[in-house]
Amino acid sequence: MLIARDLCKDYGSTVALKNLNLQVRPGDIYCLLGANGAGKTTAINLFMNFIEPTSGQAIINGIDVTDNPQSTKKHLVYIPENLNLYGNLTGLENLRFFAGLGGALPDKKTAYALLDSVGLQKEAISRRVKEYSKGMRQKVGIAIARAKMADNLLLDEPTSGLDPQASNDFAKLLEELRQKEVAILMATHDLFRAKETGTHIGIMRAGVLIHSLKADEIKLNELEDLYLETMKSNQYAATDH
Amino acid sequence: MQRLIIRKEILSSVRDVRLQVAGIFLLSLMLVAVLVGRQGQQQIQKQRAEAQATMYDKWVNQGLKHPHSAAHYGQFAFKPKSALSFLDVGIDNYTGVSVFLEAHRQHEVLFSAAQDSNGMTRFGEMSVALVLQVLLPLLIIFLTFNVFTREREEGTLKLVHAQGVSMRQLFMGKLWGTYLMVLLIFIPVVCIAYFVLNRETAGLDPHNTGKFVALTLSYALYFLVFILLCILISAFSKSSTFSQLVLLGLWIVACIILPKATTNLADKIHPIPSQFEFRESIKEKVSNGIDGHNPSDVRLAELRKQTLEEYGVSTIDELPVNWSGIAMQAGEEYTDQVYDQEFSRIEEIYKKQNRLSEWVGFINPFLAIRNLSMAIAGTDFQHHVVFTRAAEDYRRAFVKKMNKDMEVNHKPGIAYGDYNVGEEMWSSVEPFAYHLPKLGSILKNQWRSVSALSLWLVVLFALVPLYIAKVPKL
Repeated sequence: MLIARDLCKDYGSTVALKNLNLQVRPGDIYCLLGANGAGKTTAINLFMNFIEPTSGQAIINGIDVTDNPQSTKKHLVYIPENLNLYGNLTGLENLRFFAGLGGALPDKKTAYALLDSVGLQKEAISRRVKEYSKGMRQKVGIAIARAKMADNLLLDEPTSGLDPQASNDFAKLLEELRQKEVAILMATHDLFRAKETGTHIGIMRAGVLIHSLKADEIKLNELEDLYLETMKSNQYAATDH
Repeated sequence: MQRLIIRKEILSSVRDVRLQVAGIFLLSLMLVAVLVGRQGQQQIQKQRAEAQATMYDKWVNQGLKHPHSAAHYGQFAFKPKSALSFLDVGIDNYTGVSVFLEAHRQHEVLFSAAQDSNGMTRFGEMSVALVLQVLLPLLIIFLTFNVFTREREEGTLKLVHAQGVSMRQLFMGKLWGTYLMVLLIFIPVVCIAYFVLNRETAGLDPHNTGKFVALTLSYALYFLVFILLCILISAFSKSSTFSQLVLLGLWIVACIILPKATTNLADKIHPIPSQFEFRESIKEKVSNGIDGHNPSDVRLAELRKQTLEEYGVSTIDELPVNWSGIAMQAGEEYTDQVYDQEFSRIEEIYKKQNRLSEWVGFINPFLAIRNLSMAIAGTDFQHHVVFTRAAEDYRRAFVKKMNKDMEVNHKPGIAYGDYNVGEEMWSSVEPFAYHLPKLGSILKNQWRSVSALSLWLVVLFALVPLYIAKVPKL
């Protein structure tokens, strides 16, 4: 479970995130929508402890991230927008390396089966990653998540730049993880994907979570209108940076 | 976790074609240097041993002669080539090969390789030491300059941290991974060098194995220091380009500029007198006394007075021993004092220069390993000093023997040309034998270099936990 409690991040006078409160339960896919600079990536970076919060708490499975940065990472997997793996290693070797670092080193057979299960072509598994497309690398990322059996997944615009087929495949993999009670927090620009994949949707602007709603309570066109209205509204302009 | 990072580092490096080419090139270069160097060292050692034996043979077979003539006929001492000199030629090419030993005069060691060769020798002979000290660090730079910056630039650093790996764990993994890569190149060279060292029992030094191990460990320490330094710089650099520039700059300063600057500085602070000044000073002191107030004729008159009193006679002709023998030995001993004083002065200047270089090792590990390496290989200035002292002791012993024979056996009244001795006398002088200093005394003498390398290692390791957590993760 992922919890943000009054989470704030400032860079001097610039507010990157202001009083973020959200909860992602097991089996939830929480999609954060917002323009560039809205604070989506900042929120994810705070959960990852890549940066320290100015105030507030990021909590993973009941553990404060700032106090226990290493132990919280055992419970989560992170897939950034560009999952850059080690080009000189094969997909199999990358999976074993990253899963192994996370304390879940699979044997070669299991690693092979994991990569196969996320739809990576068999002939690609033993090829060096520098020859992989972005979609193939994202699949390795999901395989790492499966290998680690982490119960939290943080995704930072994972489908940006993917072709529709790869994006759809990726969404299916997320759904499989959701059904396995994984708590997923995903930053995205893709309203359609957020509506289709997410269980909850948050709309952010200028570091503030403006709307938080259940995905099945809103239609795609309504979501689009709400999103555009939020982006246009002057109500939040004061905190813009 | 550490094993995974180490394995990944090695795998990534081994699969990098540029590093493969550079590694194979350096390995080949060192193997050629080992084989060619050892062959050359054995050849030179054989020549010198043969020359030493030939000269002794000539000494023994010089025929009937007055002992003082034999003392001027003289002998040669050839500096044996240290068995480990094939790994590090040090200053061997500049210090001379042999010294002529005769009565009254201490000659210098002459016929250095540099005198006989072209100017290229001045740029340094290709040896294993040159590759290990200068070129291998260059490979280390190419292995390490982007170990952190590339991860940051490509985003893999975030992914590694996302698995719960601390910066320190990552640092240590990268350190040992790179170190093993370097050892992968270094160890085959060590094994082959040890094999060729022991293939033929030409060893002049029974302590070769100990010295070889010490030399290997010194280089292993040097590489660890260099890798630590490079990875720390990569960790704190904002970009790979910046890190590469800084490291290459440091390499140029450490391996090229600072050693030259240190030599020049040492020469400025502790200047060595010219050959002319040196010879004039000796001539002056022999003639007018060490203190300048004791001329040779006064010293001789005093000796004559003492000798006559000792034997209770009033003239030289009444002496039961040969006055010339006594006078010559006394003159010899006085000249020895003058030479000792002058050579000690020069030696002290050289030592001061070398000491400065050893102290600079505390700010430049390259100088520390260079000094330590040539000391263990037996090619540094100290080894040259030990050889010249051994040759001088030998000279004094055999000249004294000639003078004593003259004093005792060349009775007064017998003309110089009528007193001759032969082979029995000449062969009673043992052949010149020189033993290289032992490892213990070498290390004791090189304590500054050993401490400098150790201190570098301790300080760099101490910096890791202090600063590594401050390395940016994004």
